Amino acid sequence: MTDRRRINGPAAATIPPVFLDDGGKEQKETPLIRSRPSDVLRKLFLKTGVTPSASGSAYLEIETTFKSGVSGLKLSCSVHGPRSLPKSAPFSPHIILSAHVKYAPFATKQRRGYLRDSTERDLSVHLETALRGAIIADRWPKSGVDIVVSIIEGDQDRGEAAGTGDETWDTMNVLSGCVTVASAALADAGIDCVDTVAGGVSALVVDRDGAESVVMDPVASEHGKIMAACCVAYLPSRDEVTNLWFKGNLETSDAQWYTELVQKGIQASRSANRVLVQCLHDTVKLTG
Amino acid sequence: MASTTTHSIAIPGQALGPTSKYLPGPGTHIHESNLYSSLLGIVHVSQPEKAPGPAKRLTKITPLPPTELPTISVSRSGVSEKREVLPEVNNVVLCRVIRITPRQAVVSILVCGDSVLEAEWQGVIRVQDVRATEKDRVKIYESFRPGDIVRAEVISLGDQANYYLSTAKNEYGVIMATSEAGNTMYPVSWKEYKDPETGISELRKVAKPY
Repeated sequence: MTDRRRINGPAAATIPPVFLDDGGKEQKETPLIRSRPSDVLRKLFLKTGVTPSASGSAYLEIETTFKSGVSGLKLSCSVHGPRSLPKSAPFSPHIILSAHVKYAPFATKQRRGYLRDSTERDLSVHLETALRGAIIADRWPKSGVDIVVSIIEGDQDRGEAAGTGDETWDTMNVLSGCVTVASAALADAGIDCVDTVAGGVSALVVDRDGAESVVMDPVASEHGKIMAACCVAYLPSRDEVTNLWFKGNLETSDAQWYTELVQKGIQASRSANRVLVQCLHDTVKLTG
Repeated sequence: MASTTTHSIAIPGQALGPTSKYLPGPGTHIHESNLYSSLLGIVHVSQPEKAPGPAKRLTKITPLPPTELPTISVSRSGVSEKREVLPEVNNVVLCRVIRITPRQAVVSILVCGDSVLEAEWQGVIRVQDVRATEKDRVKIYESFRPGDIVRAEVISLGDQANYYLSTAKNEYGVIMATSEAGNTMYPVSWKEYKDPETGISELRKVAKPY
């Protein structure tokens, strides 16, 4: 891909400088310990109304772990619309939802291009499905709404060498964040929803001593090996799942792991939803 | 008068009460015979207007009229009015004429009800919808000209691009027009506007002043 119009960074992976004060040797020996109980999420910050020009917007941040060099998650979402459809579009009796997820070029270890790659397109499709189940589409005939999520920081361990970790696990955390932040932005934009949808991630991990357990909000660098993970988008008051993404190696006979992963994912989503509800209450108190 | 009481904050999906107690207003939806909020905002409960009590002595026994339920609605601002962001059927809109053809006038809808629209929506006034009488004699160029401001009613959501509008009522039609010389004109009859400077009159489908 030759993009001559913009100033491009290096195409390949770059290793950020590691300073001596950081204890470069010590960092490698950081034990694979989870910094919190298995059913507790990392701290979440959510705020609406960050982009004045958009009809609705929200910003989400997940704290970084204690390990240095591991970045958290920073997402910004803006909702544009409802607005008229382009002339070429056919008549639609309900609102047309289009979601765009884009990594900032500097969001991950591997530099991202300006064009959307397959991961970003995949995330967009997942996000669209998750939100479509939550909005009341026939309240807005003949109109469209654009949901744009920018990933400013992509929840990755920068200390790890490129290629060792599997990026899919990070992508799941990113997707659950995208769902939560887009839900807050949609509510801020005043688009009718049946419920506030929030994302949650659970994973089946194997620790170094070989014990298998299911944890919520997994961070790849805190666990020995992630066997499988599951990202759900869940409507708490309807008790419905609008989107489910499951990935990993599990024996098909072990049905209990599947149910437990989904259960824990829903539980994680409920926790995230509490932050969302509080954030929306604050929005009305401040602006209304 | 309908009285309005303001209550707590509602977020989408929050239960507001059973349908047997409230009527659904803007910003709410019904799920399994319960009312839920569908918007983020403040809950309003507006009581229906009290029916006047029996003025006369009752002479016959009739069943009581069905009691009006209070309407519950959710909106972001302090008022329980419906936010009009999209034109709907039977709305009165103000629009500007963009271009005319022998069969229709293409307009851009600017105001819907009392609210100025954020987005611009395109509408069409077809030749058969210009007036209620003598529909076959209507000529678009004798009814509208580009630049006129027209009051019209939405009759259909139309096709993919246009809303279908109608001016087939006395109150609907051109409310502001400029002459070919560029002066603002005043209406003189139901089908004429007059230029105050040149004295030339032009044909329009004139809206009856309220």
